[in-house]
Amino acid sequence: MRNRPTAYGLTFALPLLVWQVVFFVLPLAFLVALSFFTVRNFRVLPDLNPGNWGVILWRQVFWQAYGVTWLLSATGSLIASVLAFPCAFGIALKLSANSRRWAVFLMVIPFFTSYLVRAYAWQVFLSDTGIINGLLAWTGLGPYALLNTPGAILVGYLTLSLPLVILLQVFSLTYVDRSLIEAAHNLRAGRLRTVFEVIIPSARVGLVIAALFAFILCFGDFVSPVYLGGGHPTTLSILITDTTKSGQQWPRAAVIALMMIGTLLATAFAAVHFAYRGARR
Amino acid sequence: MSRQPLVTLEGIRKSFGDYVAVQPLDLAIHAGEFLALMGSSGCGKTTTLRMLAGLESPSAGTIRLSGQPINHLPAWQRDTPLVWQNLALFPFLNVIENVEFALKMRGVGRAERRRRAEAWLDRMQIAEFAGRAISHLSGGQRQRVALARSLVIEPQILLLDEPLSALDAALKVRMQSVLKSLQRETGITFVYVTHSQSEAFAMADRVVIMSRGKVEQIGTPQDIYNRPGTRFVAEFLGSSNILSGRVTGSTGPHLNVDGPLGHFQVPHCDATPPQSGQEIDFSVLGALCDLGPPGGDPRPNQIDARIVGEEFEGAFATIYLEADTGQELRVQKSQADIARLEPSPGKRMAVFWRAQDCHLLPG
Repeated sequence: MRNRPTAYGLTFALPLLVWQVVFFVLPLAFLVALSFFTVRNFRVLPDLNPGNWGVILWRQVFWQAYGVTWLLSATGSLIASVLAFPCAFGIALKLSANSRRWAVFLMVIPFFTSYLVRAYAWQVFLSDTGIINGLLAWTGLGPYALLNTPGAILVGYLTLSLPLVILLQVFSLTYVDRSLIEAAHNLRAGRLRTVFEVIIPSARVGLVIAALFAFILCFGDFVSPVYLGGGHPTTLSILITDTTKSGQQWPRAAVIALMMIGTLLATAFAAVHFAYRGARR
Repeated sequence: MSRQPLVTLEGIRKSFGDYVAVQPLDLAIHAGEFLALMGSSGCGKTTTLRMLAGLESPSAGTIRLSGQPINHLPAWQRDTPLVWQNLALFPFLNVIENVEFALKMRGVGRAERRRRAEAWLDRMQIAEFAGRAISHLSGGQRQRVALARSLVIEPQILLLDEPLSALDAALKVRMQSVLKSLQRETGITFVYVTHSQSEAFAMADRVVIMSRGKVEQIGTPQDIYNRPGTRFVAEFLGSSNILSGRVTGSTGPHLNVDGPLGHFQVPHCDATPPQSGQEIDFSVLGALCDLGPPGGDPRPNQIDARIVGEEFEGAFATIYLEADTGQELRVQKSQADIARLEPSPGKRMAVFWRAQDCHLLPG
């Protein structure tokens, strides 16, 4: 038997439905349409021109930026997950309930400041005359080029994603059944062994979702690649702005944007599939 | 007896902050016995079990395994597998991987641990589910997986924390016999925590009754049932009538006791006989009481009371009566007796018993 929507259910579902259609489905449809438009004399004209796709997808610059963005985001997501885990583990499984609330609150504080401001703050640390090189100079080392490197982009990515990854990991680790941990100890698994054999598999879905969120945030990020990476290497977000600025090529930018959305959707589906594969067995 | 106990608890105490979960507790567990720790919730039975497994450390006292103190050993260095109340099976592993877990942690090779796990699945009659997810098993099957997972290392001792409480009544009875025969065949010492008298009495060789962190009585099920050691035990078991009165003297093997409900004769207990004038409690099993027409000459060991209810329990029924003082009495009778006596609520009847069937409660 099929569930037929009731008037009551529709009343509450409708605002969300309208919102999604107006602000997500329609813009997305417009983006798809835009990717087939033609630019003539710096004017964007409605058209059914598949040439934009060809131009972008046959260009090495695009695939280079694509690879760089994917690699940097995946690295950022991995580092964030690894750095976050011991912290989240401590908060979720070692602190008392009260201290845990405080720790979660502290994790929210970074969100009080704009990410742009935090990225700028890193410039103060990372520049050639910045704080880190200043301290290194005391020991007779340096100066090292820290700013405008892929490493600086990763620092920015971590600034963006780490607090969220920790929070998501804390929530997933908090719900790990304590008796499973005790059962592992009882069956001769020591502390570290239990982490890898029982706690990580138990929290698997949450850990993968946290990493996925970090990937999504990094993949679309514009601030770190520009303000900490100095535009080199070029990421997809930088490529989009460059494309729109050079000759009003909005349709080609739309192609890049659609490729990004497609990639994120594919990654998200793959990640969720991977996360639940173990749980569903 | 020269046989050294497998496990001894010496002066074990456990407190959580101000709350004392286990009072100084002394207990010897013998190799190969089925020991039940029984008591209501909060009596310290589970805490005691967890201290044996190393999941809690005692605040004071020594736990010895084969004579060696094991207090300092963390849980993962003890071979004291525990079967959890919720079973705590790993949901991300399938049946055979769950069973192999302990062997894997011990560094047993892949082929060897598969072979041993399969042997235990076979023994528990769940070999056909080896590749299944835990979530696709029934309650009884999960129970068997949990047992196989704990027993695969062939430990000297197995700890069980109310493992049957989630099962329905029929399955519970079947698992009881599975557990009992498993214990007999393997000779492994079972320490079984339960609040259920029927589980403890059905399986255990010895039962430890605990209350508020203290041992009230240790004995065989028959001992405890027939001769409850304290008023608490008699009340906890709930199958006896508990009466009290003042000792007025003694006649032969019996004490003469006068109470608000009449005159009673109670056999001496072996230890220190109560003096005249002392207030005592004694109990008589509901199953050993008889019912008859009320009134007549006042005889010892007889109470006239009004029937207030009847509880059907299959071959037997328990008849509840209320004496004139308001005290509740219970009498257990076979269905044939019930048909003859025709007890109906409100009817007055005499409850009486033989002097040798009642039992002085020490303390």
